[in-house]
Amino acid sequence: MSAALSLGRRVPGEVLVLAAIVLAAILVSSLASEFQANEWTLWVLYGLLALSFTFIWGHGGIFSFGQAAFFGLGGYAYSVAAINLLPHTNETITALLTGALVGAIAAGLVGYFIFYGDVNDVAVAIITLAFSLVLLTVMSGTADPKYHIGTAQLGGYNGMVGVPPITVGLPGGTPMALSQQSTLELFAIVAGAIAVGVHVLLRRPFGRVVAALRVNELRTLLLGFDVRRYKLATFMLGGAIAGLAGAGYAAWGIFISPAVFGLQQAAFVAIWVLLGGRTSLLGAFVGVVLVEELTSKLGGNAGDSTPIVLGAVLIAVVLLLPAGIVPTLQRWGRRLLPGPRERPSPARASERTGPENAQAAAPVLASEAAWGAGGEEVLRADELGKRFGGVRALDRVSVDFPGRGLSCLIGPNGAGKSTFFHLLSGRHRPSTGEVVLDGRRITSWRPDRRARAGLGIKLQVPSLYHELSASENMWLAAYARTRSASRADRRAAEMLDWLGLAERAADPASVLSHGQQQWLEIGMVVATEPKVILLDEPTAGMSPEETQKTARLVTALAEQAAVIVVEHDMDFVRELDAPVMMFHEGSLFAHGSISELREDERILDIYLGRPVGVEG
Amino acid sequence: MHDSRSTINRRTRWASALTALTVIALALGLTACGGSSGGGSASDGGSEGGEIVVGSLLDTTGPLNIYGKEMTNATQMAIDDINANGGVLGEKLKLDAFDTQSDDTKYTQYANQLALQDHPAVVMGGITSASREAIRPIFDRNKILYFYNEQYEGGVCDANTFNTGVVPSQQLAALIPWAIENVGPKLYVVAAEYNYGEISADWVKKYAEENGGTVVGTEFVPLESSDFSSVISHLQTTKPDAVVSLLVGGEHIPFYRTFNATGLNSEMKIVSPTFGLGNEQVVLPANESKEITVAYPYIESLENPVNKKFVQEYKKRFGANAYVTDSAVTVWNGWHLWAEAVEKAGSTDREAVIDALQEGEGISFDSPSGKVTMDPGSHHVTQDISIAKTNDKHGFTVISTKEDVPPSYEDEVCDLVKDPSTNQQFTP
Amino acid sequence: MDQLVNTLLGILTSVSILVLISIGLAVIFGMMKIINFAHGTFLMLGAFFTVTAVRAGLDFWPAAVIATLAMGVVGLIVERLLIRHLYGRLEATMLATFGLALILEQVAVLIWGTSSTGISAPLSNFRVGRFSFSEYEVSLIAIAALLLLLAYLVFTRTRFGIMARATTQNPEMASALGINARGINMGTFAFGAALAGAGGAALAPITAVSPSMGAGYIANAFMTVVVGGPAVVTGTSLSAGLLGSVQRLVSEKTSLVLGALSVLVLAIVILRLMPEGISGRLRRTL
Repeated sequence: MSAALSLGRRVPGEVLVLAAIVLAAILVSSLASEFQANEWTLWVLYGLLALSFTFIWGHGGIFSFGQAAFFGLGGYAYSVAAINLLPHTNETITALLTGALVGAIAAGLVGYFIFYGDVNDVAVAIITLAFSLVLLTVMSGTADPKYHIGTAQLGGYNGMVGVPPITVGLPGGTPMALSQQSTLELFAIVAGAIAVGVHVLLRRPFGRVVAALRVNELRTLLLGFDVRRYKLATFMLGGAIAGLAGAGYAAWGIFISPAVFGLQQAAFVAIWVLLGGRTSLLGAFVGVVLVEELTSKLGGNAGDSTPIVLGAVLIAVVLLLPAGIVPTLQRWGRRLLPGPRERPSPARASERTGPENAQAAAPVLASEAAWGAGGEEVLRADELGKRFGGVRALDRVSVDFPGRGLSCLIGPNGAGKSTFFHLLSGRHRPSTGEVVLDGRRITSWRPDRRARAGLGIKLQVPSLYHELSASENMWLAAYARTRSASRADRRAAEMLDWLGLAERAADPASVLSHGQQQWLEIGMVVATEPKVILLDEPTAGMSPEETQKTARLVTALAEQAAVIVVEHDMDFVRELDAPVMMFHEGSLFAHGSISELREDERILDIYLGRPVGVEG
Repeated sequence: MHDSRSTINRRTRWASALTALTVIALALGLTACGGSSGGGSASDGGSEGGEIVVGSLLDTTGPLNIYGKEMTNATQMAIDDINANGGVLGEKLKLDAFDTQSDDTKYTQYANQLALQDHPAVVMGGITSASREAIRPIFDRNKILYFYNEQYEGGVCDANTFNTGVVPSQQLAALIPWAIENVGPKLYVVAAEYNYGEISADWVKKYAEENGGTVVGTEFVPLESSDFSSVISHLQTTKPDAVVSLLVGGEHIPFYRTFNATGLNSEMKIVSPTFGLGNEQVVLPANESKEITVAYPYIESLENPVNKKFVQEYKKRFGANAYVTDSAVTVWNGWHLWAEAVEKAGSTDREAVIDALQEGEGISFDSPSGKVTMDPGSHHVTQDISIAKTNDKHGFTVISTKEDVPPSYEDEVCDLVKDPSTNQQFTP
Repeated sequence: MDQLVNTLLGILTSVSILVLISIGLAVIFGMMKIINFAHGTFLMLGAFFTVTAVRAGLDFWPAAVIATLAMGVVGLIVERLLIRHLYGRLEATMLATFGLALILEQVAVLIWGTSSTGISAPLSNFRVGRFSFSEYEVSLIAIAALLLLLAYLVFTRTRFGIMARATTQNPEMASALGINARGINMGTFAFGAALAGAGGAALAPITAVSPSMGAGYIANAFMTVVVGGPAVVTGTSLSAGLLGSVQRLVSEKTSLVLGALSVLVLAIVILRLMPEGISGRLRRTL
């Protein structure tokens, strides 16, 4: 299916929604009273803030308390820019865009600091919280008139006054401040456009990769995606949206104060999103409207019960609608309304699946003629060693692997095989030695860069995107290589055909059988067209028949690339009939053909746990 | 593949159509609901069927309720009192009160609701200066008369805004000379790190120098900070005669406790223009707030008939344990000054009321704190200032009272009669 | 000499306060992976229970013990009614405990009013050279150490504690071994709540006991716990030690504002360099 065709089918839906939003915005703002327009403008702006959090957390998996900080910075940026520029340009739209820009830049700086330091989730939350509190403390201390930017006084804890509302005009003309209704109209359309834009983006390759790294960051990294760049880009876009919302907020309130950097504002962003549904773009707005409407109405009665009612509602939603309001309603709606449904394909023809024709199909695997290095030596480990605390997991192992063909690693548990693989793939940094790929020292490279340079690994426990369908899994791997959505579509279909998984393409990876999951992951590694394929226990949990199929598949791969297999299943190793390396206590203990090793008494001793004779 | 693809496509389009419909339905729903609730609002000038609508914005819940509760109480009492005495211009007041939940955004939101929908004759409220600055421009823009009834850092000069709270030039002008004369000339300032604290610290320095004292150290404490051990240690090394506390809020109360617990109270005394505002003397055990001297327009134990009746009524309504704060009386003053002005103007119209407040020597009113006069030029009040000391009953004993203390700084920089277009906050 | 004593005691007091406000959170977060937004409210309730018991005529120390036990019971009830339904849903616990905090705080307002009578520090003061010190503040150091020791003993010397750690490290294995995870979770949450209550009780004589008092501590508590990392006792002591010392020294030498900022910046830098927290690299589980 061509890109143009799929585009042609996809766009009308979104255009329809956008048109509806524009229509609704015009309709609502023309009918609303001044006060309603004013209040709804706040909801739209808060909704945008919530949307930015839905995007980075619900889809990008980054839990940050920083959205309120970027919102606040956007507000301050708007205020400073508008106060300084309005007398010259007669408009504040530039200032509005400045808010978004400052939000993006701030998120870029914070994000660079966080993501390029490989900081984990909880640490991200606390670092962003601390960042907000630093802003709160610093901005509260700017009361002295000496703190000003141009003609704009920062105003300390009391906040900035004299912030212009949204104004349009041309240099030399007369500035015209928008009415409450027009302001609502403007922001509703902007918010609608951003929501539709984010929706489209999430369906583009970028969004699919972002969603993938939320589901399984390690796999995404090992496929060769630069996870840090994707996260940073996501964070910056979220920062830009929050900054724009903050700019609008300052224009709405004609005021901004450091209170926006407080814990309360940060917590409410998370609450709106959790209430509305963490992945639903519409839910961001619904969550805002519910919380704000509730607290506004309760506060209007000046009663003592506001926190109690709000608290009870939050708890009730958590207990009764765990997915959030919008996703729950959507589920109910789907049950009630007729219409096409998506259901897992009932044809569980798993017995018929499997790489039946692997051998025959193998040559078509390469999308480029010169796949695999084919040279003398593609990968070399030089004195490679790793210590964990005081434990020596791997002790100065030196091996090299030819550009094509199969090698097997065997050894009892704890012999250092997996550690060796992790050092090769880059998940761990070695304590000693070097890794050389294609003549280049890659010891300090990160896993994604190694993957792009041609090192693919299948992990011991299948590492898939369990929530995503088999075809989406494969598409991501193919896209990592091709960087073209349409070519990745084709390639994914070919690969699934080759693996015999075409019938299960639409099923989530989690419902596939264990063997099928193994094949899927091997296929994903292959789809990245690596020069070296590392397979950690590819037959674990497979039936003898499945094992045999896998052996054929591995042999086929070895014709085009260097394949290194860690395996416990000796029958499988025998079937592969390849050079075998035996690891023991972190060292390369012996190597040779399987039949040679079988004659070595010491190896039997090791496997049976008998003390090994001192020799060599 | 093709099949599943097109199913997904059809599904997406179906979902899009559904989303589009939902958006329009929601929009229509909102408009319809809003239309019915927003329809019958009051007409201009806040008059509604023989009642005059007036607005109030205070934090009844959330962290700021230490101040907000008392001020809400005083608001209800003032409205009831005015209504019990025949209302204004023969009409009863109808209070449109909002709980701003210690959230500046809620201030903006409710201020807009008042300004754009309910159109009250006057709005009183705001506790922190930030909340005042959030709503002041909204009432300016929408021409709704606004009263700010709380002690603050001073300097607001805005034709539409009237301030009944005490300002540093009143309190510190009385307190600092008293401290130098009665405690000693070496002062150490411990101030909250925000606008009020910084501006007041400047005033302390000015009054200290004018009265032969010196400020030997100034220290700013973040609003959220509650670990004062380094301040105590600095006090022990500088050994001032008096500590001027410009601390605010619950987080800062540990200062007084640590001060007492380390035994510093036998070596130096605390004077403060803020102690008591958040009922610190009630929170602290009597022995921990020993001999702290304060200066306020209003002290609960003031001996005058108006106050006696006021305190009696307040305790009857809100419990015998309720201590009447200066903020509560400031709110009471705000409402009564406005009511007097309306009577004088013969109308609730904003321009007429402002004119009435700016005419001649200004409007006066017998408050529980003594005579209070709204200064026509500066829109701040001239009032009595009492020096008082904490006693062993969680209250204050009045030492001396200075009558008719003008807001000297505001009078100096701000004259709205002469220049009504001024709209800024002056800082020294 | 007296300056040195002053600085040292000052540092230890700042560190102790951080330990007191964060140890309960560390247990609940470290052992159960629950982000307890109601932690500040737990501290507040511990303080209020103490104040109430003192007002009823008890001495401070027995009152503090009663408050601690009472908070354990509150923790038990909260776990049974609310937290139990939310295991494994990190974000749900966040939302639910936030809601709980709102409710409990307002309930406290309705019971005790917006401000309340504090209680006196139960001890006197002493002098070293130019400086005088509050005996109670010095005894906070001992209380903090005692709570750390208590947590350590409970998790290493009791059957319950050992099972709790096993459950944390490997839930499947623990349930395979027949450990009653529900009971363990309930006990751990109650223990964490009791420690929070003890922290609140210890703070009651030095702070303002009001319904909103928790808000001032919660950010610092979270920062201490996360900077501390996975080992509850070691991590909390190390991170409170580091953050508290730096805060106190910077405040002493420059200003409190810079002191407060230094803690935030230090937390950011440590988490950037050691994302697992200080104890993340020390192969310790407690």
